[in-house]
Amino acid sequence: MTPVGPAPPAAIDRQQMDVDIACVGFGPAMGGFLTTLSRSLLNPDGSPRLESSCLPGTPLQVICYERADGLGFGVSGAVTRGRGIRRSFPELDLAQIPMATPVKQEKLVYLLDPTGASKRSFALRAADKLIRTFGSFIGCREDALELPFIPSFMQKHDGFVMSLGQFNQWVAEHLTSSGLLQIWPGTPVSAPLIEDRAVKGIRLADQGTALDGTPQDGFLPGMDIRAALTVVGDGPVGAVGRGIDAHFGLPAGHEHSEWALGMKMVIELREDSGLEAGTVLHTFGFPEPEIFGFLYVHPDRLASVGIFIPSWFRSPVRTAYRYLQHFVLHPYLWRHLQGGTLKSWGAKSLQESGRRGEPFLVGNGYARIGEGSGSTNVLSGSGVDEAWTTGAQLAEAVVELLEKKLPFTRQNLEDTYVRRRRASWVDRESRVAADSRNGFPHGLLSGLFGMALAGFTGGRVVIPPPSSRQKGASLEERCGARIPPAELQKLKDEAAERSLPLHDQIMNRCGWPEIPFDGKLLISQQDALLTGGSVQAPPGYANHVAFLRPDVCRNCEPKLCVEMCSGQAISRGESGVPQFDREKCIFCGACLWNCRADEAGEPANIDFRAGAGGLHSALN
Amino acid sequence: MSNGYHIVVCGSVVPDPLQTLEPIETPAGPALKNEMLLPAVLDPWAAHALYEAANLAAHAAGSKVWLVSLGAKAKLRQVMMTIAQKVSFELVPIDGPASGFADAHATAALLAEAIQSITGLDRSRLLLFGGWESASRGAGVTMQLIGERLGILDQFQGVDQLRVQPDGAFEILERIEGGRHQVSLCQGPPALFGWATGNLPEPRNNPQIGMANMRAIMPALQRAKTAAPAPDAIRYRSASPPKQQRQTRIVKNLSAEEIAREIVAWIEKA
Amino acid sequence: MTKNILLLAHLDESGNGLPKAAGEALGAAVELAKQLNASLSIGLIGGDVQAAADSVANSGAQRLLAVMGSDFAQPRFASDLLAAEALCRTASADLILAPATSRFLRALPGLAHRLNGRVDTHITSIQVVDGAVCATRWFYRQRIEGVFQRDARPWILLLDSGCHEAYCGPSGKAAIEEIAVALPSEARRTTIAGIRAPKSDSQTIRPDAALLFVAGAGWTKKQPDGKSHPEQAESLILGFLRASGASLGGSKSLVDQSGENQAVLGFMTHLNQVGQTGATPRHPKGLSTCCHGEEPHVVGWRFINERRAINLDPNCGWARGKADVLYVADAFEVMAKVNDLLKKPQS
Repeated sequence: MTPVGPAPPAAIDRQQMDVDIACVGFGPAMGGFLTTLSRSLLNPDGSPRLESSCLPGTPLQVICYERADGLGFGVSGAVTRGRGIRRSFPELDLAQIPMATPVKQEKLVYLLDPTGASKRSFALRAADKLIRTFGSFIGCREDALELPFIPSFMQKHDGFVMSLGQFNQWVAEHLTSSGLLQIWPGTPVSAPLIEDRAVKGIRLADQGTALDGTPQDGFLPGMDIRAALTVVGDGPVGAVGRGIDAHFGLPAGHEHSEWALGMKMVIELREDSGLEAGTVLHTFGFPEPEIFGFLYVHPDRLASVGIFIPSWFRSPVRTAYRYLQHFVLHPYLWRHLQGGTLKSWGAKSLQESGRRGEPFLVGNGYARIGEGSGSTNVLSGSGVDEAWTTGAQLAEAVVELLEKKLPFTRQNLEDTYVRRRRASWVDRESRVAADSRNGFPHGLLSGLFGMALAGFTGGRVVIPPPSSRQKGASLEERCGARIPPAELQKLKDEAAERSLPLHDQIMNRCGWPEIPFDGKLLISQQDALLTGGSVQAPPGYANHVAFLRPDVCRNCEPKLCVEMCSGQAISRGESGVPQFDREKCIFCGACLWNCRADEAGEPANIDFRAGAGGLHSALN
Repeated sequence: MSNGYHIVVCGSVVPDPLQTLEPIETPAGPALKNEMLLPAVLDPWAAHALYEAANLAAHAAGSKVWLVSLGAKAKLRQVMMTIAQKVSFELVPIDGPASGFADAHATAALLAEAIQSITGLDRSRLLLFGGWESASRGAGVTMQLIGERLGILDQFQGVDQLRVQPDGAFEILERIEGGRHQVSLCQGPPALFGWATGNLPEPRNNPQIGMANMRAIMPALQRAKTAAPAPDAIRYRSASPPKQQRQTRIVKNLSAEEIAREIVAWIEKA
Repeated sequence: MTKNILLLAHLDESGNGLPKAAGEALGAAVELAKQLNASLSIGLIGGDVQAAADSVANSGAQRLLAVMGSDFAQPRFASDLLAAEALCRTASADLILAPATSRFLRALPGLAHRLNGRVDTHITSIQVVDGAVCATRWFYRQRIEGVFQRDARPWILLLDSGCHEAYCGPSGKAAIEEIAVALPSEARRTTIAGIRAPKSDSQTIRPDAALLFVAGAGWTKKQPDGKSHPEQAESLILGFLRASGASLGGSKSLVDQSGENQAVLGFMTHLNQVGQTGATPRHPKGLSTCCHGEEPHVVGWRFINERRAINLDPNCGWARGKADVLYVADAFEVMAKVNDLLKKPQS
């Protein structure tokens, strides 16, 4: 048996448990899978419909492990059309799900730069000038232009706003009340068990270790959970999905080249904020042209407000938190948000390669669902419903195979699950979206043009992809025009000496105004980590972020892993090798795809392993 | 002891202590804003009691652990998913209010009734465990009230250590004023222990324990009776968060030496 | 309508006087009796209560009741409860006030059940509003303050220490009504073997200290040189405690670290923890260090009057609005200087 992932200490006597289906990661995809499956587990008279093969005479044994401490600690406010979710719950009553409400109004808004600090191309500056000049005629207010229409492929006006955390909790409650299947939070899975080119189950993370993984008193080796089918829904940075990719590779021509970091706040709005529940705003243009933003208004005066920092944003000091604060402070939003209180905060990496990043969806003994399976639609900006639907499709396939008493081979899963997926709207729409964002590496305007082209032609006409993989800009390239080289070097030296990230100094120097901290909504990044919950780092687990080859880190400047770390958990360490403080890690996974070793043609120098804990908030 | 102990742990659910809590007024009295949205945990002191119970049971063959828990069913379910992999126990759930504003006397009556209805519970081997206080009401009276209802005369609070002596007697360390412990000797069960933090680390997650526990816990939760505590014996005039917001003077540009002088002067000022 | 108030107290550990908290509870009882025009009795539990009774002889109490003898000298649930029950029944009290000492917090809740009454603990103030007795206490770990009343009687209220001015009056010769209570054998199953305390030179918890020094997890974190310096932290903190006589509190993450194989401060135990699952001590002043973003600022500090903090983040929302002064500085440097200054005689 070969577990994929960090090498465990040799000759450990591991316990083993057999189940029929082992599931990894409880997100919307797994919600869709388990919800659909659970409805086929019993006959109308209450007797088991599907029998366990590992424990004959008992119902099908299904177990799901989730790393986070709770099943509702997903990090996303979401707006979704909910087509797949409504198919699973035809009688869906949104009032039963806290923070969910139908979309009442939806706007697409172009945000101008009121600060003068945003780095905009000549063309964009010219466009901004035109908008400002003719502002009163075209409805430009508060440094923003509300677009008169939203392209049909982006519209969500028939959908609903929700908190993914609350939705997950609601789903989990339905699932676990029957006792038919088990979902365990707080249980990281370290690796898939791979044998003879088949996945035979999963290995749980070791407990009772020092931070470096060395066994200590009370060492409990991670148990091997053997299963006929392993359902992988652990997202884009999950250890099992990445372990399978590392072992089997990606299909020819596929790569995980596009990412984004989504960071958002949940804000309690003041009484007279002027925002009605069900309001949905999509924004672009500010704080940097490459950064998209959103605002979704939930019931009870709560709003999710956030931004996406894409991998094509070629700044070496791309701190999401500071940009998020500038976004909140944009006059178009601030008039609503001023006086609000930050209730929760979070961040997450999004795998935005879409169909181009799709891994092998199935293999012997395993199937991939959700975001990690490339289901996110980058054109419509939708992932939750797609993920849910892929889970539901797999469940239907699994039931079909179990009823026919067929094994979970690659071919059988292809014939049932993949066939369903390919025939569905999820796949159809993802084909349209596949090349829709090729224009963005060239700039905002060409990016938007590319999206429109792909969207309106059904993906038939697209901008060709960039010829080579883009590299991140150096500090000098990014800031050269604004900061003289000597001063830039001084800032770099100071940051290195004080073990601080560079971004604050650079942004200040580039003209970004200081954030007027108010102790309620505009608070320091460390306070955001502690507000409305906290980061949990249960003892007894090894560090889940490791820097593999010290020499590579030492020679790497600027250190994007430090600049991009959402929780400031990675800092410039002694002798140039970053250090990791897991008590601040929110598992966003940004370090993984921001490692610059990758750009130098080397494998990423950061290992993002299975770990316990993370952000502890259900409002997300 | 040849037959082991029958350990009943009383433990309720509380909002995760790290969350921001705000009171609201309802027709039934004060409550927490968005209480059902807040992540729930097993009360921290009750959790210590549960771990101590499991540890004691593991060292006394024939012992059995029950967890009697009062709370909203959905919250109990959430919490069971975080603790049922840690230690073996049988759940005795009561679907009812776990609010810190609920009256302790009514709560104690419900819990005592649930304990009395446990089939096969041997009172002569009974050890009643719980937290010495809760993170919700924080009164530290519920356990004693249950103990009285069950006629337990040997009660200990703020317990940090329980050691079984060779003759079967217990040596107990209870927290008292000034960071000290009172040492007591008790002849044996039945006895009641309100635990402080103890010294045990949180047990590891063990999937096999979880698997076995959940087969019984989820059906028990399904069957949980909804219990209404006796009508309000307590009337609230107000429930409010602390009002005082201090004007913090931020001192940024003083040297360590100057700050030290200022601090010393402040300390020495009467 | 409250007619009879009983103040219950036990002797302090010396066996001679009353604990400070009992004097405070008596102060509250005397005041309340006046406000309600009720009669006041005092009930004492202990080995030999005469001296203690003499110290309150002029408090205005109509009756001075006592259950005494060696069986009742030591804190034990069963005997304390029997004694308290006898005193309450004799006094026919409808309102019973007592100090929230560890001894009474253990025993008196059970008394409420025996008397078919109600009990509330950790009371921070008692007031008469519209003729009704209202009690105040904190809920949810000192986050929400509740004011409430009860109709049921007798009502037992345990007052937290430091919340009321202590009774202060001249001693006299008290006429004690001794109530005989026979201790049945089942109440003797527990015996008290003594008290375990750290050696006096390593005792860091000092409830009567003027200052609470709170150490946060920052003390064991890596410093700008990329290393942690637990030995230096330990010597700075202990040095300060010795020089200042302060009591030591720790944040939860700091006292929990021993389980994590991190650099830990050897003298820090769970007993030191303030906030969260720890204590909420009362001291006139508090100085927190390296606690950025930790609980002590919220809960553990609730009952500290003057508060100052040292940490590196000027925007620390956990000190702002909660501390009077926030020094933005390296606590290692500042505390070293503070210790130097405390060692030198001040000019």
